Amino acid sequence: MSVPVPIRWALLLTVALISPVIATLFGSAGLSPETVLQCLAGQCPGATEDLIFYDIRLPRVLGALLAGGGLAIAGATLQNVTRNGLADPYLFGVVAGAGLGAAIVSVLPDYGLLPDGVSLPVAAFIGAWLSVLMVQGLAMSSWARTPEQLLLAGIAMSLMLGAATHMVLYIGEPFAANKVMFWLMGSLARIEQTHLWQIAIPLSIAVMVLWLVGRRFDAMMLGDRAASSLGVHAARMRLLGLMICATLTAVIVAHCGGIGFVGLMIPHIVRQWFGVTTRAVIVGSLLLGGLFLVWADVLARTLVSDQELPIGIITSAIGSVFFLLMMRQRA
Amino acid sequence: MYTEPGLETEHLSLSIQDVPLLKNISFTLPRGQVLGILGPNGAGKTTLLKQLAGETTRNASLSGAVYWQEDNVRQIPLQEKARRIAFVNQLNDSVFALTLFQVVRMGLLPHQPLFAMPVKDDDRKVLAALQRVGLKEKSRQTFSTLSGGEQQRGLIARAMLQRASLLLLDEPVNHLDVFYQHDILGLLRTLSQEQNLTAVMSLHDLNLAAAYCDQLLILDDGSLQAFGAPREILSESLLERVFGLPCLVRHEEHGTRVDFCPSPISAPQPGGPE
Repeated sequence: MSVPVPIRWALLLTVALISPVIATLFGSAGLSPETVLQCLAGQCPGATEDLIFYDIRLPRVLGALLAGGGLAIAGATLQNVTRNGLADPYLFGVVAGAGLGAAIVSVLPDYGLLPDGVSLPVAAFIGAWLSVLMVQGLAMSSWARTPEQLLLAGIAMSLMLGAATHMVLYIGEPFAANKVMFWLMGSLARIEQTHLWQIAIPLSIAVMVLWLVGRRFDAMMLGDRAASSLGVHAARMRLLGLMICATLTAVIVAHCGGIGFVGLMIPHIVRQWFGVTTRAVIVGSLLLGGLFLVWADVLARTLVSDQELPIGIITSAIGSVFFLLMMRQRA
Repeated sequence: MYTEPGLETEHLSLSIQDVPLLKNISFTLPRGQVLGILGPNGAGKTTLLKQLAGETTRNASLSGAVYWQEDNVRQIPLQEKARRIAFVNQLNDSVFALTLFQVVRMGLLPHQPLFAMPVKDDDRKVLAALQRVGLKEKSRQTFSTLSGGEQQRGLIARAMLQRASLLLLDEPVNHLDVFYQHDILGLLRTLSQEQNLTAVMSLHDLNLAAAYCDQLLILDDGSLQAFGAPREILSESLLERVFGLPCLVRHEEHGTRVDFCPSPISAPQPGGPE
């Protein structure tokens, strides 16, 4: 039996709103449902609970919600503008660029230019952005104009940056290599309240812009020629999509490290449930991506007792199985 | 008598890497007429249509110009051009499963600002266009699952929403059965008469072209061989030269008939014994 689309939206919205509250219950220090409800009402039973709920658990859950939504939107946007359902920000060298930035700053001596703990995310952001600019530069050149060529250029760039990262880590000190490797595996443990705004603001702008130009992005699905004949500047729209994808991914990777497969998996499910138009995919990806990462992070916190798993391992494990199933479905 | 300015090409030539694809093509088509472009494979029909649409071709050297209502099509801004010229390509394909309704709705894009909010009236316009081409009941069906004829009619509905005065169609009746061939061409003919729409299309079937087009343009190897009304230009010598096959051309009261005869002509000669 097929569930009508409006009911599916209502279900997704309800689950996306309730899940973050339930997710705050889980962690190394458990909070009871009563405590969570009291804390939500602004009346935490004690200072410890207040600290755990407001300073640790809530920022982390909200961070998962924003990062998941952002990564899913970045993936959906990239898939639209490259007309390839298998496109993912990771294929564009965004994470590899962030990794190189992080590696370089980790092996450099500390000049004290930036406060402790800030230089790595900043370097990661710059690295992610530069890698997208380089891929975009290739796309503007005469030998990577089609979406397929753009994807291949991204993969080549990703491999090149990965090699450079390994080189930097090889000649650097072993401790730095450990630090970068752990960061690349992805974790929401470092998210603080101030970081939430740094993700929320670009994410809100991206959702707004994509919603407004949604119909033009839809025309891009028919190919550049068809889009142009409908008055849509295909190259400009693709640039806009790439910039949105790069900014979202860079800011999320900078704070959370490498969290793979969300951008590939979530938009695919959303298209099957809510249709393929840009507006439906953007809103659906925002909700479902957030929801997915909230629960993936609960697994990361609880799967192994007294220890936390990097969330990137969990999303990649789920994502790679999903990817194989998708390939089987297409075959 | 004043005729509204229509489509005009002036010494249009195009070559890619020194291979000429179009050679010095000039013609004038008054507004509101239907033009069929005919010629063997590789004659340059699609290339000519793309040039009429003002599309850019990479690594091409181009001379001459195309004017629609006295404006050089290459100089009309993209969105304005989409309001004046609609191009129905050979079937559009999307990697994502868009519905017929969503594909047709894109015809409204040229009339919307960059940041457009959804409007309820949009749906009404789309459904009216779908009704006009007889596809209202299939509006929720995935575009790629429609038959070739339905897809073509859907794309014509999209072109109607563009409210363009020039409609360019690349082989609109290719791969369609006889019913849909007449259905599509009849629809174009009606639109042309009702809305003063100018339609230019590439075709393979000379009899269909003669039946539905006001003017024909015969291309061979990128050169214009003939341009004019079917009755005036279709002749056995021209068609044999262009298509390399002997044929019979009969201009009758209700139209022109062309029959190709691959072997030595066995059909009765006009004026021959009964």
